[in-house]
Amino acid sequence: MLDALIQGLSLVLQWNAFSLMLVGMALGFVVGLLPGIGGAATLALMLPFVFKMSPVEAFAFLLGMHSVAATTGDITSILFGVPGEGLSAATVVDGHPMAKQGEAGRALGAALMSSLVGALIGAAALAVSIPIVRPLVLTFGSPELFMITVMGIACITSLSGLGTRAQMKGFAMGFLGLLLATIGQERQSGVLRFDFGFIYLWEGLDLIPVLVGIFAIPEIIDLATRGTAIAGNAPAAKLGAGVWQGIRDTFRHFWLVVRCSMVGVFVGILPGAGGGVAQWMAYAHAVQSAKDAADRSRFGNGDVRGVLGPGAANNSKEGGDLIPTIAFGVPGSGAMAILLGAFLIMGLHPGPDMLTKHLAVTYSMVWTLVIANVITVLVCLATLPYLARITRVRGGLIIPFLLLLVFIGSYTANRQIADLFVTLGFGALGYLMVRFGWPRAPLVLGFVLGKLAETYLFISMARYGYAWLTQPLVLVLMALTAAVIVLPYLQERRTRAR
Amino acid sequence: MRVSGAVLFGFALAAIAAYAVYTALRWPPKAALFPLTMGIPLLVLAVAQTVVELRDPPAEPEAGAAWRGAVVVFAWMGAFIALVLIAGFPIAVPVFVFSYLFMESRERWGLSMVLAAAAWGAFHLLFERLLHFPFEDGLIRSWF
Repeated sequence: MLDALIQGLSLVLQWNAFSLMLVGMALGFVVGLLPGIGGAATLALMLPFVFKMSPVEAFAFLLGMHSVAATTGDITSILFGVPGEGLSAATVVDGHPMAKQGEAGRALGAALMSSLVGALIGAAALAVSIPIVRPLVLTFGSPELFMITVMGIACITSLSGLGTRAQMKGFAMGFLGLLLATIGQERQSGVLRFDFGFIYLWEGLDLIPVLVGIFAIPEIIDLATRGTAIAGNAPAAKLGAGVWQGIRDTFRHFWLVVRCSMVGVFVGILPGAGGGVAQWMAYAHAVQSAKDAADRSRFGNGDVRGVLGPGAANNSKEGGDLIPTIAFGVPGSGAMAILLGAFLIMGLHPGPDMLTKHLAVTYSMVWTLVIANVITVLVCLATLPYLARITRVRGGLIIPFLLLLVFIGSYTANRQIADLFVTLGFGALGYLMVRFGWPRAPLVLGFVLGKLAETYLFISMARYGYAWLTQPLVLVLMALTAAVIVLPYLQERRTRAR
Repeated sequence: MRVSGAVLFGFALAAIAAYAVYTALRWPPKAALFPLTMGIPLLVLAVAQTVVELRDPPAEPEAGAAWRGAVVVFAWMGAFIALVLIAGFPIAVPVFVFSYLFMESRERWGLSMVLAAAAWGAFHLLFERLLHFPFEDGLIRSWF
């Protein structure tokens, strides 16, 4: 195994593979900044170029691009409140308020360093767990996966703010998100739900226009109304100086970063869950880790822990994602499904062969994740003080470019003009939510998890009837879900009692 | 009792939930289960929230300037979508950037032109040259 690990490293460091990885990284860096055309779409666009490459070169190119896109998505999320990737929306919640307070450098430093730690943990998980992951993945059938999505939905209590009124609003938004996820053709019966006669809605609403509309447009309106730069009148010296503080924050909250990375790896391993789920669950975990209600109330207003958690999970899930893809040929996400196409183009068959005959190629993927993330973070750290200065440019100059980013991003996700209208509609909804104090995170969490929950529930019912409710792991997950719901209330009561 | 924006928002939410529940009741059980399971609690919560806000209205921030700002930005977004529909993305991008900078941000026309050209250049280089991303033609191109 050690031989294969070293051989994998030497394969990635060969001139051809290394230079192709750098080309992929440069491409991933640019597309990561754009919402919509994220890692998965770019993988699909670049797939035709790998035909003439060797397997190591192809995976260095594709994985280098994909892993960097996940990292740089955080940059636009923090600086402008525009999620650079669908997956990086959770970073907006605390990252952009930090930028508005003149702490863009600190937020970016924290996001990048936690991303690096997350990527390294994800890569280590991939390297170590391939031989032992089979029983874990096989233990999780539809009932267990359904309960995990329910546990994710239960995180709404942590994302809703404090007090009865805030909790009511949070749950209402969570249910609205779940309801929005039911739009489109129901998979079991074929019934068209809430399609209003539009063919566009048969497939349901896409995540990108919804996310970008809800998070980015209210921020752009706020910027236009304030008439200042994003960082307002924050002193220029504070912007870049915070980068090292952000890096230190990562190590000050190191165990939180490790735990959130593990959340990312775990969600990545589960088929179909996707990175968006990982980020929001990690964010919810960061909120839950607050010491008391007062500590918790800092989240959403620019708490660096709200950046560290999603940042770590965002990249660690890449390693987790690759585990079932390589070991069983079961892709954990859309991007991995496309990567599976690359396996077939290369004449490789995911499964036992990748763990025996082609083990060096498998480990070259691990090394690609490590090297690509280290280089990206080093390059970004060198340029962060300059990037942070963008928040000092007056709003009037930036707004048209942000609007372009929003609408081109929404369009490129599916090449549908209707997505522009959906973005506009959800922008209006997001603006009203901000104005009247309704939380946006629960809606997104409900929307992300809704489809998955419905699918797993129906498979569970069809396969086991009601008997799935009594399966041991399901019962354990039910207990954990109850704990997730009750914990914030207990925390609040304890704070009041003091 | 004052009917504020927050109350109207809660009421709209309740109306959406009521519509969803009413519509789902006509579907077969498999298709209706999830929308009903989500729609009914949403309806209850939205009605409860509306009642709470009618009885004890929260302090609302100053409205005038914020609403005006929002309307202006939405008008520009609407204009951009209209431009895309008529002329397609490659033309809409520089025209929109120039118009916004010159008319809304009151920048000098020279700077507006330079930034509009930069926006077009970046768009052309990334999407058309590098990624070969297919953008839909606007109505104008389809006429010729």
